[in-house]
Amino acid sequence: MNWKLNPLTIRKLKRFQSVKRGYWSFLLLAGALFVSLFGELLVNDQALIVRYNGRTYFPVFASMYPVKWIYKPSEFRSGIFFGEQTDADGQKYTGEVHYRSLQAKWEKEKSANWILMPPIPHSPDLSNFKAGVKILAAPSWEHRHFLGTDKAGRDIAARLFYGFRIVMLFALGFTMLVFLISSALGCLMGYFGGWTDLLGLRVVEIWANIPFLYMVMIMVSVVPAKVGMMTRILLLLVIMVLFSWTSMTYYMRASTYKEKARDYVSAAQLLGAGPIRIIFAHLLPNTVSTLVTFLPFTVAVAISSVTALDFLNFGLPEGTPSWGHQLRLGQEFIKEKPWIIGSALTAIFLVLTMVTFIGEAVREAFDPKKFSTYE
Amino acid sequence: MKSIQKIMQSSALMLAAAVVSVGCGKSDKSGGGNGRAKAKQRNEPVTEVTWTTLPSVEEVKEFYRADADFFAIKATTDIPKGLKWEDGSNEPVFSSPNAKRGGTMNVHTGDWPRTLCFVGPDASGSFRRHILDNNALGLVDNHPESDGYYPAIAKRWAVSEDKRTVFFELDPDARFSDGEPVRVSDFFFHFYFMRSKHIKAPWYNDHYDNEKFKNITIYNSRTLSLTYYKAKPDVVHKVNIRPVPEHHYEEIDEGYLKEYKFTFEPTAGPYEVRKENIKDGVSITLTRVADWWASDKKFYRNRFNPDKIRVTVVREPAKVFELFRKGELDWHGLSLPEYWYEKLPHDAPEVAGGYIHKVQFYNDIPRPTWALRINCSKPLLDNKHIRHGLHHAMNWELVNKEIFHGDFERMQTVADGYGGRSNDNVKVREFSVEKAEAAFAKAGFNERGTDGILKNAEGKRLSFTVSTGYKRFTSLLTVLKQEAKKAGVELNLEILELTAGWKKADEKNHEIVFGGLNNSVELYPRFWEPYHSDNAYKEEGDTKYNADGTLKVSLNLKPNTNNATVTADREIDALIKKYREASDLGEITQLSHQLIEKLHDHAGFIPAWSKPWYRVGYWRWVKWPETFNVKQSRDWEEFHVHWIDSADKKVTLDAKKGGKTFQKVVKVHAQYRK
Repeated sequence: MNWKLNPLTIRKLKRFQSVKRGYWSFLLLAGALFVSLFGELLVNDQALIVRYNGRTYFPVFASMYPVKWIYKPSEFRSGIFFGEQTDADGQKYTGEVHYRSLQAKWEKEKSANWILMPPIPHSPDLSNFKAGVKILAAPSWEHRHFLGTDKAGRDIAARLFYGFRIVMLFALGFTMLVFLISSALGCLMGYFGGWTDLLGLRVVEIWANIPFLYMVMIMVSVVPAKVGMMTRILLLLVIMVLFSWTSMTYYMRASTYKEKARDYVSAAQLLGAGPIRIIFAHLLPNTVSTLVTFLPFTVAVAISSVTALDFLNFGLPEGTPSWGHQLRLGQEFIKEKPWIIGSALTAIFLVLTMVTFIGEAVREAFDPKKFSTYE
Repeated sequence: MKSIQKIMQSSALMLAAAVVSVGCGKSDKSGGGNGRAKAKQRNEPVTEVTWTTLPSVEEVKEFYRADADFFAIKATTDIPKGLKWEDGSNEPVFSSPNAKRGGTMNVHTGDWPRTLCFVGPDASGSFRRHILDNNALGLVDNHPESDGYYPAIAKRWAVSEDKRTVFFELDPDARFSDGEPVRVSDFFFHFYFMRSKHIKAPWYNDHYDNEKFKNITIYNSRTLSLTYYKAKPDVVHKVNIRPVPEHHYEEIDEGYLKEYKFTFEPTAGPYEVRKENIKDGVSITLTRVADWWASDKKFYRNRFNPDKIRVTVVREPAKVFELFRKGELDWHGLSLPEYWYEKLPHDAPEVAGGYIHKVQFYNDIPRPTWALRINCSKPLLDNKHIRHGLHHAMNWELVNKEIFHGDFERMQTVADGYGGRSNDNVKVREFSVEKAEAAFAKAGFNERGTDGILKNAEGKRLSFTVSTGYKRFTSLLTVLKQEAKKAGVELNLEILELTAGWKKADEKNHEIVFGGLNNSVELYPRFWEPYHSDNAYKEEGDTKYNADGTLKVSLNLKPNTNNATVTADREIDALIKKYREASDLGEITQLSHQLIEKLHDHAGFIPAWSKPWYRVGYWRWVKWPETFNVKQSRDWEEFHVHWIDSADKKVTLDAKKGGKTFQKVVKVHAQYRK
């Protein structure tokens, strides 16, 4: 297999770069996704660095993979570990230390010990009642709740941030799986033609007529209760892929048909190459433009459908930071707390717009009318 | 889960299967409300009843005769002499003399009722309270301010010496909404109806079989008696049944469900549903029975005041609230903090302008039992020390403070709110990291892992799954979870659909389940259903214990019972047995206290909160007695003591248009606060 960039591809990439808003959207979104992968360093209630009695600790890494495998904290850093006997409620402080209050205390005491917290010092799963922050609080700079808190007193900004990571990874996983299934089947049908094509296409047509939303709702609602959170997310992914791969199959089949008729395929056949080799080594690289063109739109579809499903309570399991849940909360308090729905809508709007811009640029770059190789 | 219902909505407590029982109707005889009370029949003389004069069709008579021990007809002279007749005349009147008759009440229901039948499939929906629970009349009614009764269909009643049989004398005025008089035979028919397989209501089939009810006897056209299987201090309540109009059904066959699905059974109560008032999928309007027979009776005067109650179907809660704010619905429950504080705060324009009044009313009833129920059959959880530790690891105080704005109270025991039968000496275990750690240490969990969770010598972590079907309470479980971590316990939350959540507990598959069960207003609590070992394991009675009182291994869990804590304890079993057999209130009280203490020590039940009040917002044209409502009301609507001031409605709406405001009313009625 030779995936070396050919001049044509380089020209396409240049062309993509020249569509400024698409290119910048791509950089921004990719950057944001990259940053979010290390999100624990930015949004977390664990300290990044703690300097205590002349020694330095990195609590945030203690719970982070892959660091967790390498760096094993020898003991649990409870309140007592840091010399705190009782917590804010006067309870014995055997639990995990509350870094924000510890930080405030040390600052007040002008102690030699210090703590460096992430910019948004909140966990997406925990409330901040200790600091006097109520549920459904308005945005506050003082407590660093930049978008306020939700019904359980959790930070909305933190939840939106981790919601972004989940929805993006989900969308990319979705796209990958959809492309894998649809291009494999599309290429097979296109390459072999005849009965394979006839039967395959009928199957695809029938399958495509099953209503996506209903099927996902029905299947999600029968998942047994004992299934864990992570498995539920993966199951949702699989179920969604199961009912969304069909449309791409048509395009892949058509492009394979087109490419199959080219001389280089006959040449490869004459040289004795088998169907697998021809499909993957010759046809797929030449039909890749179809895939790439559809990529951003598939991502957009994935983002909006998983958000919609969440909103309807059939998506990601309750408790996962998710945009759909955030939207539902926002809708519930649309008059009283407009910033909740405002922030969720803005996040969705920005991401979908960027994805669409990227899509436009890609389509522009791969437009065959501009790079026709027909003589 | 029968008389104890699962709570579906917290704002409006649902349908406690009531004193009054059940039936369903057809319309050809009940249509038209043209003052059909057949006045000429009133004060007709008391006559003897015989099998021949019984107005039943031959098949129904056959049914009665086949069970001659149960259905008996005797003569007036057979009524024992020296009975102490009571008529509730000492009880206080609880309606307001200022009440005005008339107007239309506008309320909503969340879904179109699937049937108008009172029993059978789909009958126990939220619409039923309008036509049955809050409307139908039984022989007597529980007085909502005292432990006594007041007359309903029966004018007076007497309890036999052995406290098993109750004699009732019917009010000669009692009429069904179709004008037919209520006859003694309608109480015979009640049993025929409830025992019929065709009503497809197995719970009622069971409840009214020969097991609990031992006999019903007709003495004459006014008098009957009912016999319960054992003596009880509240035997009047236990045998209180509702007349089922025999003339309406004549007999019940397999066509019952189909034929009567949307026909309203004639009622002796104040409101009826006429065919022309059913707008499919849109609304059902109840109309007050013209010349209702009980209108001027002491305990019904000034109650059931509106002429019409229009129940509109609105499915979306947000829309319901908007309709209320517009004045198209007359009231809206505000018990949830987000409604009371966020959506309709005291400074909302409708409240500040005095158009909508807000009221918080402290009532005094057995509280729904919101709690964490621990499955004592699961590994680790079968250890009492761990259960004690879990009690101390749950920070309900913080939940109340932060999630419920401090409005709720902590529930203390397994049976709060039963007057003297509740044990006020038992106090719930408070949140305390130290006490939790001490209890866990007794079970061998004394070392924290790197994640802060306690583990034992084998490295086993203290980690449990809390399942629930109440999505709206996810936030409070989140708080519990983060607080429990301080005490070294990991809680994994499993948020399910409502039915799935309870099903898990029914099958005893849970580790810890969170939820609330509704209790009906009763004199003394029930212990057998939720705490007897026969409801935990399939093995009967004492066979499940070893000689030393410990449980045998490999017992079979019994699904579909209320014992969600899977409590099985020989001593508790013995106490419950005595409790069930007790007939004297003093003895019942003493045993109840003992049981509450034992169950506190057993610690399968972590009491959460109790809500000692309800809150409602209503438009100012809805008027209430000065004390707002009665002591034992579950919600503001139940006893129908309110009325509509139609003139005020016009004034209010005009004023709102013109920008004129009234005095703001936000009131707390705390006269029944403990």
